[in-house]
Amino acid sequence: MDIEVAEERSDETLILLPVGRLDSANARSFEALVMERIAGGEQRLVIDFSRLNFISSSGMRVLLIAAKKLQGSSGTLVLCAMKDHIHEVFRISGFDRIIPIKDSREAALVVTG
Amino acid sequence: MTFNDLRVSVAPRLSGVGNVSRIVEEFGDANGLAEPQVYAVNLALDELIANAVTHGFAGVAEPRIEIGLRVDDDRLVLTLTDNAAPFDPTRHAGAADIESPLEERSADNLGLHLVKSVADRVRYEFTAGRNHLTMERNLAVAA
Repeated sequence: MDIEVAEERSDETLILLPVGRLDSANARSFEALVMERIAGGEQRLVIDFSRLNFISSSGMRVLLIAAKKLQGSSGTLVLCAMKDHIHEVFRISGFDRIIPIKDSREAALVVTG
Repeated sequence: MTFNDLRVSVAPRLSGVGNVSRIVEEFGDANGLAEPQVYAVNLALDELIANAVTHGFAGVAEPRIEIGLRVDDDRLVLTLTDNAAPFDPTRHAGAADIESPLEERSADNLGLHLVKSVADRVRYEFTAGRNHLTMERNLAVAA
C-alpha cells in the first residue's frame, strides 16, 4: 500500500507532508520515497506532520534511517507540526533527543536554513 | 444497540491494520474517547498485528486474529487473540534503545516498547493453542 505524500519546496529545503496514517502497511512505500529523494540529492528535509494523524514504530523507523543517512552526508532532517499525542510517542521513544522537532514549519525552515 | 463491547476479526495481513483502525475510531467516537486514547489502541494494534503477521504465522494453515475492545468503568480494555506461534510480549527480553545518539540508535524492539508504554497493565496467556493478550489503559489518566 502506498501512502499519499504531498511535496513542497522552500529554497533548498524539500518539505514532505505524509497524509493520514504512516503505519506498518505503508511504511515501506514512505521509506522508498524518502530514500529516493535523498539519493536524488536532497540534503535539507522537513517532514511536516500537520496532515498525519497516526504513526507507528514502522514509520518512526523510516525517520531514523533517513536521519542517519542525512547525518552521514552533513544534511539535515527536521520534523514539525506534530499533534500532541504523536509528540508524546516521540518523547517516550527518545526520538525527540535525536531528531529535531519544531512546532511549526516556519521554525523547521529556520533550522534547515 | 450498544457499541461498547466490540469484537472483530482482523485480516491476518499488514493491510488489515488500516481497516481495524477505522473501526476503532468509530468505537472511540461512539464512546466519547479522547484522541490520545484512540491513538494508544491503534498504536498497540499496529505493533502487535504487524508482529504476528511478520513473525508468527509461518506454517499456520488458517491464520486468525481477533480483537476485542470495551470500556469497563474507568478502563479501556483491549484484547488480542491469535493462533500465531506462542509469543509473550510481557517476557520478551529485548529492550528498546531510547538513549543512544543518532548514529548508534536502533529501532529494534521499539514497537513493543510503545505497546508497554501506552498500556497501564498487560497480561498474557497461551491457552488452547492461542495467544491471548489483554491490555488495559486507565481512562482517568490523561495521555
